[in-house]
Amino acid sequence: MTNFFHKPQSAALAFMVAGAVWFVVGAVYGMFSAIHLVAPEFLPHVAPLVFGRERPVHVNTMLYGFTGTMLVGVGLYYLPALLKTRLWSEPLAWIAFAFWNLTVLSGPLGFAFGLTQGREYNEYVWLADVSLVLAVACLIVNTALTIVNRREQQLYVSIWYFMATFLWTASNYPLGNVMWHPATGAMPGLIDSLFLWFWGHNLPGLLITPLATGAAYFVIPRVTRTPLNSHTLSLLGFWLLIALYSHIGGHHVLQSPIPNWLKTVSVVDSVSMVLPVSIVVINLWLTARGFGGRVWSDPPARLVMGGIVWYIITCIQGPLQSLPFLQRVTHFNNWTVGHAHIAMLGFGGYIALGAMWHVLPLVSGRPVYSNKLINLQFGLITFGLTGFFVVLTMAGLVQGTAWHNGETVLRVLPQLAPFMVMRAALGVFILTAALVGLANLYLTLRPAREEEPLLRGEEAA
Amino acid sequence: MKMTPAFLIVGALLVFWASTFIIVGLPSMTMKDNPSDIWRPLSPLEREGHRLYVKNGCSYCHSLFIRVSDWDIGAERIAKAGDYAGIEPAILGSERTGPDLSQEGGEHSDDWNIAHFKNPRYTTPVSLMPSWDFLTNHEIAALAAYVQALGGKDADVRQKRQREWKRQAQAAYAGGVDRNIEWLHAQVPEVWRRMPNPYPATEAALQRGKRIYQQLCINCHSPIGDGNGPAQPFLGPPPLNFTILRRHLVENRYIGGIFYYQIMNGITGTAMPYFKKHLESEKIWDLANYLAVSFLGYTDANTEPRGIDASYEGEWQNRYQAPAVNESP
Repeated sequence: MTNFFHKPQSAALAFMVAGAVWFVVGAVYGMFSAIHLVAPEFLPHVAPLVFGRERPVHVNTMLYGFTGTMLVGVGLYYLPALLKTRLWSEPLAWIAFAFWNLTVLSGPLGFAFGLTQGREYNEYVWLADVSLVLAVACLIVNTALTIVNRREQQLYVSIWYFMATFLWTASNYPLGNVMWHPATGAMPGLIDSLFLWFWGHNLPGLLITPLATGAAYFVIPRVTRTPLNSHTLSLLGFWLLIALYSHIGGHHVLQSPIPNWLKTVSVVDSVSMVLPVSIVVINLWLTARGFGGRVWSDPPARLVMGGIVWYIITCIQGPLQSLPFLQRVTHFNNWTVGHAHIAMLGFGGYIALGAMWHVLPLVSGRPVYSNKLINLQFGLITFGLTGFFVVLTMAGLVQGTAWHNGETVLRVLPQLAPFMVMRAALGVFILTAALVGLANLYLTLRPAREEEPLLRGEEAA
Repeated sequence: MKMTPAFLIVGALLVFWASTFIIVGLPSMTMKDNPSDIWRPLSPLEREGHRLYVKNGCSYCHSLFIRVSDWDIGAERIAKAGDYAGIEPAILGSERTGPDLSQEGGEHSDDWNIAHFKNPRYTTPVSLMPSWDFLTNHEIAALAAYVQALGGKDADVRQKRQREWKRQAQAAYAGGVDRNIEWLHAQVPEVWRRMPNPYPATEAALQRGKRIYQQLCINCHSPIGDGNGPAQPFLGPPPLNFTILRRHLVENRYIGGIFYYQIMNGITGTAMPYFKKHLESEKIWDLANYLAVSFLGYTDANTEPRGIDASYEGEWQNRYQAPAVNESP
């Protein structure tokens, strides 16, 4: 058993498997909530399955459980690989795994029974907060000491992002979750909305984005077998991300009575986010330039590249939405829900899945069971998510313009039914994709039979 | 530039904290949590309701701030910073699947709120809200108390008005069916009581009215208009039985104006909400025609006094006869 926790890359694999499991759990809850938006009396009188309790389970399980967990797993592989060393401590990574997944587990177990702080994206109760911060602390120590013990002189850009993710999260998370008020996890009064959205937006921005960017920076050059296009662009993208991103949470409460200077800062910086995003995207596209065939013919890389495409779409949409004139129509409705889906599943999720499939043979020493299943997963998610994006954006425009023209929320509600039906139908594709992925992962990892040739764990480039 | 571990770690943290100081540090030091003109502290029961609101994720569908551009119910007052003083957490919300609730207090009577929590479709047939009947009666009462407190002192004024009229409405109901209807009619201003429905009760108009009835009215007043919808057990006074109105026409002919006024304005104190923000004028008249034709067998549409027909209206003959004067009930 002790041996097991010392086995190189075992924690990385555990994170990736947990991510695949959480994807299924999160998708099931997403499916339930989508059905409830069509048929509110579906499974009535079951307290843990009412929309207000399902939604936080869905959201948090997808964010922390699926995307976050899987990307941490990928990082735990590429970190030592890029530094040409071993992870400083495999058992410490396992401790981080335990704390991290306890937090995620507290979602389905806690929220369903009303154990929640109720603040969007800050729902985990105090004990779960502590568990997450401990996990992050373990990862900081492990990452930093792995960097110290490296045998490769140069720090590749993926390493910066992986290290910084945990530094930022350790600073961000307690602040946004107001962890010094354990009872409610909130500040009194309107200021709370700033703390809430501070983390609410830094969660995708400074936890998921750097992890996903790091993974994409790792996968794309390896698949195209070329060096990264530009070191300078990497630097610019990295520093601009952190300089701008932590400012933009305020655009979620743009039309509420927060001070005007805060609104200005959050709008200006939201629009400026186009810069670091396009820098990352351009850098990766220029890296892949001329090698499109290699990316396209490699199923994991196709997922990663798909994630980058979604990234640029979300990050054009986001700044536009933050403009006050446009926000009057896009706020409070399904437009934003669509935006969140393409950011988290499109950008974070695609890259997490692609990087996971890319890294899996290197970690487990076995070829992926079926590339066709990866392609199937890609197709299912792409169909489902593109549909989500279209349907939710349309629904949002219907709602936003109707309200703006003096219709009441109640009057517009029945008009959303067709969109909500389509959304639930498209959710089936996402759920199926999650199940296909888990099956493929299981088939890859199940104990190998004698005659199956083992692939040697490759050294990273 | 070369990234060294020290540069990476110290730099990332320094830039982060500098950036963060601007966005949460400065506001923490400068924003005041002073109560606004309508703020009042929550009672213990209301605070319990607030906890339930937070625990059950009500904020995922209901926002708690009204924007400058809002026209929905309760949108008379734009949110001010001081409205949220001391509330922990004051979740403003990001979604409006249901209406904004920040000024909801007193919009509806207490019994409407209870019935709405038991099953939202009792009071609002098109609602997507889950039924909360797995909560205890006490918890539902707490939740209702919290919702009724939203809007602070403004809500208190509305609540006071609701309770005052509820007393009178209950007294009138206790006085018997006919006395109750006379009282209800008496609350409608004179000019509306003698106003016939100015729109013809054409097939199309009746269809429109039926659709609106199904979307908004059916679960209180029931499909046959006798007031025994599924919400009825929770409401006091219970929803009106339309079928007895036939013997209470004003001057044995007028009823359209009364319907119009009561649909538009609601009946404060009872569970009957106002629909003036949901329905345009013609839709209310169509609904009035539907009620009259379906449940009374008579509509005063197009009887005297009448104005000039609208240009789109075809020639229409009212074929509904007023009941004979001393018709026995």
